[in-house]
Amino acid sequence: MSNEFTLFTLAVKNLKRKPLRTGVLIIAIGLLVSALVFALSFTRRIDSSIKITSDRLGADLLIVPTGSRGAAEDVLLENKVKSFYMDKNILERVKQIKGIDAVTYQTYLVTMSGLCCDVPETMIIAFNQDTDFVIKPWLSKKLNRKLQKSEAIVGSESALNIGLGLTDVDSVLFGNVFKMVGVLDKTGTGFDTAVFIDENNIDDIIQKGKSVIKPDQISVILAKVKKGLDPYKVAGDIEDSIVEVDAVARKDIGKNIINTLRDINQIFFITVIVAAILSVFLTWTVFSAVANERAREIGIMRAIGAKESHVVTLFFLEVIVISSIGSIFGIAGGTTLYVLLAKSFTIMKNISTGLSGLERVSIALIGLFVGIGICIAGALMPIRRLKKMEPLLAIKEE
Amino acid sequence: MSQIALINLVKTFSVGSEKITAVKDVSLNVEKGDFLSIIGHSGSGKTTLISMIGGIIGPTSGTIMFNGTNIYSLDSDSLSGYRSNKIGFMFQFASLLPILTAKENLLLPLIFTSGKPSGPSNEQKAVELLKMVGLGDKINTYPSQLSGGQQRRVAIARAFMNDPEVILADEPTGDLDEETEADMMQFFKTMNEEKGITFIMVTHNTDLARQTKRQLKMTLGSIKEL
Repeated sequence: MSNEFTLFTLAVKNLKRKPLRTGVLIIAIGLLVSALVFALSFTRRIDSSIKITSDRLGADLLIVPTGSRGAAEDVLLENKVKSFYMDKNILERVKQIKGIDAVTYQTYLVTMSGLCCDVPETMIIAFNQDTDFVIKPWLSKKLNRKLQKSEAIVGSESALNIGLGLTDVDSVLFGNVFKMVGVLDKTGTGFDTAVFIDENNIDDIIQKGKSVIKPDQISVILAKVKKGLDPYKVAGDIEDSIVEVDAVARKDIGKNIINTLRDINQIFFITVIVAAILSVFLTWTVFSAVANERAREIGIMRAIGAKESHVVTLFFLEVIVISSIGSIFGIAGGTTLYVLLAKSFTIMKNISTGLSGLERVSIALIGLFVGIGICIAGALMPIRRLKKMEPLLAIKEE
Repeated sequence: MSQIALINLVKTFSVGSEKITAVKDVSLNVEKGDFLSIIGHSGSGKTTLISMIGGIIGPTSGTIMFNGTNIYSLDSDSLSGYRSNKIGFMFQFASLLPILTAKENLLLPLIFTSGKPSGPSNEQKAVELLKMVGLGDKINTYPSQLSGGQQRRVAIARAFMNDPEVILADEPTGDLDEETEADMMQFFKTMNEEKGITFIMVTHNTDLARQTKRQLKMTLGSIKEL
């Protein structure tokens, strides 16, 4: 025995006297916290990814061909490889809409290994470097100059980058040779898997006939709204004026995905709530049994000087030890489950943003507090009953 | 002023619809350094009486004064403080915590006294007390490894850990052989005489009672001095 003999020592010794029962309670709390941590990690990662993408887009509005909103979100949020086009003259019509401050555009091309290109299937994004306000901040950090014709820069997780493992090499894209001049920093968006070229290359690509794109076609228009104006109102005005496009306000990007995920989230959280109720019930049952078994001991402790607060503290220490151990196992289990199963979910597979350290810590803390809170809730009634008993009656309870 | 004054003490228990009066209108003064024995048949109210004096069950009516303070006018924490600081309890049943060693059982009341961990001096005191009751070789032994008599002696030693002013002993030598019983009685007398600790001892053993300074008898809840 150590020299320190405290209530905590007593609490730990109490827990050791019924190791199976203690173990069952730890496992129950661990499973609950596992489910919670997994569900939170899953939903938080998707939410974060969508938020990061919309924040980093740098535009207030995303304007796409009518019916292509989902495809555009697939590209931006899920790193999917898709192409869709509209006439470039729509750009001028968008500029005329009241409240538009700046516009730029991008053209999406899809490589097909062996058919047009010597790289795996990849999203190629052609953009106008003079009007761009989306790619430029990332580009200037890495290249500090404009991309020249027949030059390309690749996203941090691009298949091309991963495939080659190096840059400064030549690749054939749509029958044209491109020199890979760098790798962008991670953006946490769909851009991470794309390859970027200047729009001046589009004519050459069309000439080679290796892409489905036609002259004067673009995929998306990105617009900034004048300060103080409501992006939703401007988006509505665009859709009213130009029937060929859908306009999406930045905050609505990913809304479709969030709506689709709502059912999954509900299933997750109903499961967690049911598990929480079961855990409260189990804790209540276990601590009711403990209270009955130890009534006499508690009576003796009260008789030799223990205050009500000592009794409460002793039981709370036991509850906190059990729930902390259970929660820590649960956090580890839930995180492992999330890492192992994340790739089983299509949406997670395609999302490039992982959870930040702060998010991971927050989820772990939520797991810990919920685990401890549920245990305390379950144990509260038996502890209250025990602490209120007169010592002699508690002694005679057995 | 008496150290302990019992004034018209009554304790009634409800058993179903029936009311049983365990202690009937008991009045008694106990001076500091007294050594009282209370004898009486089973069910005569002896245990209930010393339980009330020890602050572990409240009276139905009447007052218990300790050094001029009505102990049942104290709030719950102060009453626990009274039990912890003034009283040493010896129960008539095995009262050790089975998960603690003999020494840890002795240290237990100190957790409630100060809330501080046991220091070396407290451990030394526990060891000394165990030696005084003849269990110097059982310091780190668990109750399940001790005989009934040895467990009883550990409980006796524990009652002295907080340097109490009063020892309330309910059949303290019940499980002991004659020789050990005599040793324990001698130990009590020494503590009473040398440290001035007041003893109120419930016993069936009239020989033991005769060795105390005052003898009282309880019959059907009433008490009289012999």
